[in-house]
Amino acid sequence: MSNFNELAESVISGNFGRVKEITQEMINKGVEPLQIINDGLIAGMNVVGVRFKAEDMFVPEVMMSAKAMAGGMELVKPLIAETEMPSVGTVVLGTVKGDLHDIGKSLVAMILESGGFKVINLGTDIAPEGFIKAIREHKPQIVGMSALLTTTMLNMKATIELLKEEGLRDQVKVIIGGAPVSQSFAEEIGADGYGSDAMVAKDLCIKLVGKAS
Amino acid sequence: MKFELFSQAELLQIHEATVEILKRVGIHTTSPRFKVLLMDHGCQEQGDRIVFTEDVIAKALKTVPASFKLYGRKDSHVLEIGQKRAYCQTCVGTPSMMDLETGEKRDATVEDLEEYTRLADALDYVNIISPIFPRDVPQEIILTIETATLLRNTSKPLSICVESARELPYILELLHLAAGGEEALHAKPIATIPVSPLSPLEYGFDPAEALLDVVEAGLPLGVEPCPMMGSTGPMTLIGTVAQHNAEILAGVIAAQLLKPGAPLTMSSRATFMDMRSGVGLWAMPEMGLAGAAMNQLGSYYNIPVAPGGYCGASKVADAQSGYEHLYNAMMEALVGSDIIGSAGSLDNALTSCYAMLVMDNEISSVVQRTIKGVEVDEDKLAVDVVAEVIASHGNFLAHKHTRKYLRAGELWVPPLGDRQTFEKWAINSEKVEDKARRIAKELIATHQVLPLSPEVEAEFDKVIARARHIEMGE
Repeated sequence: MSNFNELAESVISGNFGRVKEITQEMINKGVEPLQIINDGLIAGMNVVGVRFKAEDMFVPEVMMSAKAMAGGMELVKPLIAETEMPSVGTVVLGTVKGDLHDIGKSLVAMILESGGFKVINLGTDIAPEGFIKAIREHKPQIVGMSALLTTTMLNMKATIELLKEEGLRDQVKVIIGGAPVSQSFAEEIGADGYGSDAMVAKDLCIKLVGKAS
Repeated sequence: MKFELFSQAELLQIHEATVEILKRVGIHTTSPRFKVLLMDHGCQEQGDRIVFTEDVIAKALKTVPASFKLYGRKDSHVLEIGQKRAYCQTCVGTPSMMDLETGEKRDATVEDLEEYTRLADALDYVNIISPIFPRDVPQEIILTIETATLLRNTSKPLSICVESARELPYILELLHLAAGGEEALHAKPIATIPVSPLSPLEYGFDPAEALLDVVEAGLPLGVEPCPMMGSTGPMTLIGTVAQHNAEILAGVIAAQLLKPGAPLTMSSRATFMDMRSGVGLWAMPEMGLAGAAMNQLGSYYNIPVAPGGYCGASKVADAQSGYEHLYNAMMEALVGSDIIGSAGSLDNALTSCYAMLVMDNEISSVVQRTIKGVEVDEDKLAVDVVAEVIASHGNFLAHKHTRKYLRAGELWVPPLGDRQTFEKWAINSEKVEDKARRIAKELIATHQVLPLSPEVEAEFDKVIARARHIEMGE
């Protein structure tokens, strides 16, 4: 049991090397992979989530923790069938067409991953067609769009329009974010939600997939 | 008046760090034109990046004009960019507006753009006007409509930030019409056109092409990336400043290589990330300190500077926004600033506010008064006056020296702030933000803008109709 604590602690302190070491040791000892994930990796990340919300931990530290957790997950993943992987839901994320701003969207990706979501991060400058393709391929419950420029945020609407045309609008929830975006803009373009920061986005996603964290 | 953040040795050290970034890391661009221009002048390709040489940097920096003039239409305003006058410029591109009646945040509209521009035209210490971002106009021709709306509602110089070159032909046409022809506009530019490449060190296709087109059009350029300490720049203030300097100089160099002597400003926007939420902050003290640092670098290179400064994290026009804007603007002005932007903004430059613009007019007034300094001469030292007053057993009120300098403007007069006796103030107990809102309403209702001629108005309509036709297929 103490090993699980140490694994969780290593996730919390963002010690990538140590997380991989302990995870590998556990695998070698024949510890149940799902237990490694739930009692070690995710247990640690849950603490990180709480501390971040309480403003005890900062973004760059949370990033290190998420990276450390991902390092452990990578080792465990091949041992588990895809269907057994604990996942809160799948989210496709991208910055809209014409916009190269990456930071905010990637921050959301990291926070969602650490919250147990499977995240497909499409990158920046994603045209409406790019979102459609990814939705068909990954079948997410949620699509998240980001924009930093006032001139590109309107491409969010174009993506939603294309979702309707393609008959996909009812299959996914659409969330948006980015400095110039607002709740009223989300309502105006027919999105299902708006996240004012990365933690709000995570809570929003949990609400939208209808599962408690 | 001379305030400095850095010693000469420190400045040199920062400059050398910047040069090393340009030589070792360089920039990335997806514009073939931008790339070819740099390579033709001796920059080198290194993987997918373009790196600079000391020769290119030195050669290009030599031809940057130390000053240029910016005009209002019909010569009613002449700004000397390069003389460190701390001209106040309104915030560009805010998608939200604080409603003047309700005080609530809502989408900005074209009616806001008209009224806000007219308000800025009326405020004596707001010198350059940038468009807010109206949400009720077609996206395809938004800059064309913004430019026409600005020109119809102010005679002051403009600053029109472009994210691509697409609408530049219409913007130029409108400026030509307002200035009285292409030659007249070249002789007396009535607008600067800033472009904003991405931090860190990324000249994406649209801003890179726009930068070159603005220089070719002969209008003053602003090079305006916007790094965030800790996310798109180093966590350390000076690290972000060195990188910011490098990404700005990259654009400055490209402009000079294309057209030696092209007028421009280093339009720094060094922001920082709230590490508790990831939100981008334009708050104090880092924004003002970094802006001041960039200003001193501008003076070191003899290049005009135009940082953002009338900004903060406060969500309403209140005490917090008052002290944030004063701090950031004053820091930058003390070190030496040609233009200070973001006036009238709230919430990290995301919202514009009528009342805040009236408050920033007050702050700009005291900032511009402060950097005029205090003149020292015999008459002003007034030793004889002291002796005479003491000898006469009187006081200074009765001395002609007092009347002379009072009338000459020795005392700053606040355009907004309250100085009444408590009793008089208590009759209405009006807070400064409420008074600012009241003044904004009065000015919008009464201020007359120097009109465009009916002929120019008609031509404006034609330009907009043509933009509609070509860009929107109408």
